Amino acid sequence: MQGNSLLDWEYMLRSIPKVAAGIPVSLSIALIAFVFGAIIGFGIALVKIYQIPFLRRITSVYVSFMRGTPLLVQIFLSYYGIPLVLRYFSTKYNWQIDISQIPAIVFMYVSFSLNVGAYLSETIRAAILSVGKGQVEAAQSLGMTAPQAMRRIILPQAAVVAIPNLGNSFIALLKDTSLAFAASVPEIIGQAKITAARTSNFFEAYIVAAALYWVICVLFERLFSIGERRLRRHERALYHD
Amino acid sequence: MIEITDLHKSFAKNEVLHGISLKIPQGSVTAVLGPSGSGKSTLLRCINMLETPQSGTLRLGQLQVDFASAHKKDILQLRQDTAMVFQAFNLFAHKTALENVAEGLIVVKKKPKKTALAIAAQYLEKVGLTERADYYPSQISGGQQQRVAIARALAMNPKVILFDEPTSALDPELVQEVLAVMKKISLEGITMIVVTHEIGFAREVATEVVFIDEGRVVEQSKPQQFFNNPAQERTKLFLRQITPDYNYQI
Repeated sequence: MQGNSLLDWEYMLRSIPKVAAGIPVSLSIALIAFVFGAIIGFGIALVKIYQIPFLRRITSVYVSFMRGTPLLVQIFLSYYGIPLVLRYFSTKYNWQIDISQIPAIVFMYVSFSLNVGAYLSETIRAAILSVGKGQVEAAQSLGMTAPQAMRRIILPQAAVVAIPNLGNSFIALLKDTSLAFAASVPEIIGQAKITAARTSNFFEAYIVAAALYWVICVLFERLFSIGERRLRRHERALYHD
Repeated sequence: MIEITDLHKSFAKNEVLHGISLKIPQGSVTAVLGPSGSGKSTLLRCINMLETPQSGTLRLGQLQVDFASAHKKDILQLRQDTAMVFQAFNLFAHKTALENVAEGLIVVKKKPKKTALAIAAQYLEKVGLTERADYYPSQISGGQQQRVAIARALAMNPKVILFDEPTSALDPELVQEVLAVMKKISLEGITMIVVTHEIGFAREVATEVVFIDEGRVVEQSKPQQFFNNPAQERTKLFLRQITPDYNYQI
C-alpha cells in the first residue's frame, strides 16, 4: 500500500492482464447469445407476422416472461434448473450423462440466448414490417417463393433498419454478461473479484473492469456503425447527394 | 392466348369483380380502360394471383388454374409465366438497376450469376439504360426506374407482361419515355395487358381494348371500333368524360 494516494496505480496496471483474462468469456457469452437470440427472435417475429395460431400464444407468454423477470433470476433458473431437469430425464431414460461435467458457461449461453431472443423479436419484427409491401409483391410477381423473397429481398432491407437497434441490444447484452459472475463464471467481473480478493483492492479492480467494458463497447459501436454505413450504400443518393 | 372465365373477387363482403370473362389473343396489346374503382387493377392482380379470386378459372398456354383451389405450385408457375410492371415501380431498393433485372434470373430461373448479369445488361440496353446499370433505384428518375422495371419483366421471358398503370406515378415529362419503351416492345410480339389512363397509348399502340366498369366487362373491341364507334352507352359516356373534345356537341 502506498502512502496517501487515492488509487494504487501500479496495482491497477498490474491487474489489467488478470482482469482482461475474462474478456474472452464475456465476449463468448455475448456473441453466442446474440447469434442464438437473433435466431430465436427471427422465429418469434415470423410467428407474430404470420399470426400462426397456438404458437403465437406460446411466444407471447415467453416474451412477456423474459421481459417481466430480472435477468439475474433467469440466470439462476438456468443454472440450477437445467441440471435438475437433465438429471430427472437422465435417470428416467437412462441417458448416462454426467451433469456435473457440463461447464457453468453452457447454462449462461442458454439463459442469455433466451433472454436476448425475446428482446430481439420485437426489433426484428418491426424491421421486417418496415419493408414495403411493394417489395414483396415485386418478388412474388417474379415467381419467388416466400422463403426466397424473405432471404433475398426482405431481410437485406430489414437488416438496415434493424442494425441500430441490434447494436444497442448487443452492447446492453455485453454489459449484462457481467451478471454471469453470480454463477461463478470467470468473465470480466468474475476475474476482477478474484484478483481483488487477494489484496482487497476492489475499487481499483472494478475501475479496470469498467475501463475494459467501455473500450470493448466503443469498439463494437464503431463496428456497428461501419456495418450500417455499408448496408446503407444503396441510400447514398438520399443522404449525400 | 389467355382465357379468364367467370372471375369473382371480393374484399371482405364487398364484391369488386362480378364474373369477369375475357379472351386475350397471343401477341396482342390489350389496353384495359375504365373509371377509377372499376376493378381493372384488381383484375390485373388476379391474373398473377397477387390477389386471390374467390372463384373462376384462368388458362394461360398449357397452364389451367382454378382460382378457388389453386395449388402453390400452380401459383408459382403462373407467376413465372407472367411478369408485372407496377405503378410504383417496386424496384428492389437494395439492388442496382442491373441487379434488379438479374435477380429473377438468378433466384427463380437458377441461372449462374455471370450469365444472369450478362442477360440483364442486354435488357437494360433494350430500355436504353446501359449507363445507369450500377445506379440504385433511389439515384435515378421515376421514368428510368420504370424502364428498369420493364427490363426486369422482359428478362424473365414471360408469356404475358401485366402493366398496372405504369405511368400514373410519373411526372408528366417522364411519361413519354416509358410509353416509348412500351411501344417498342409491343412491336416485338410480346403479349401485354396494360391497365392505363393513357388514352393516346390505347388508341395508337393497343390492338385490343377492354372497357371495365363496376366490376364487369362492358365492352371489348378493336381500338378503331372502340374509340370511333363504341357499342355501349356506358362506353360513350366514359369516352366523353375522358376526352372533352370527343363528339363535341352543345
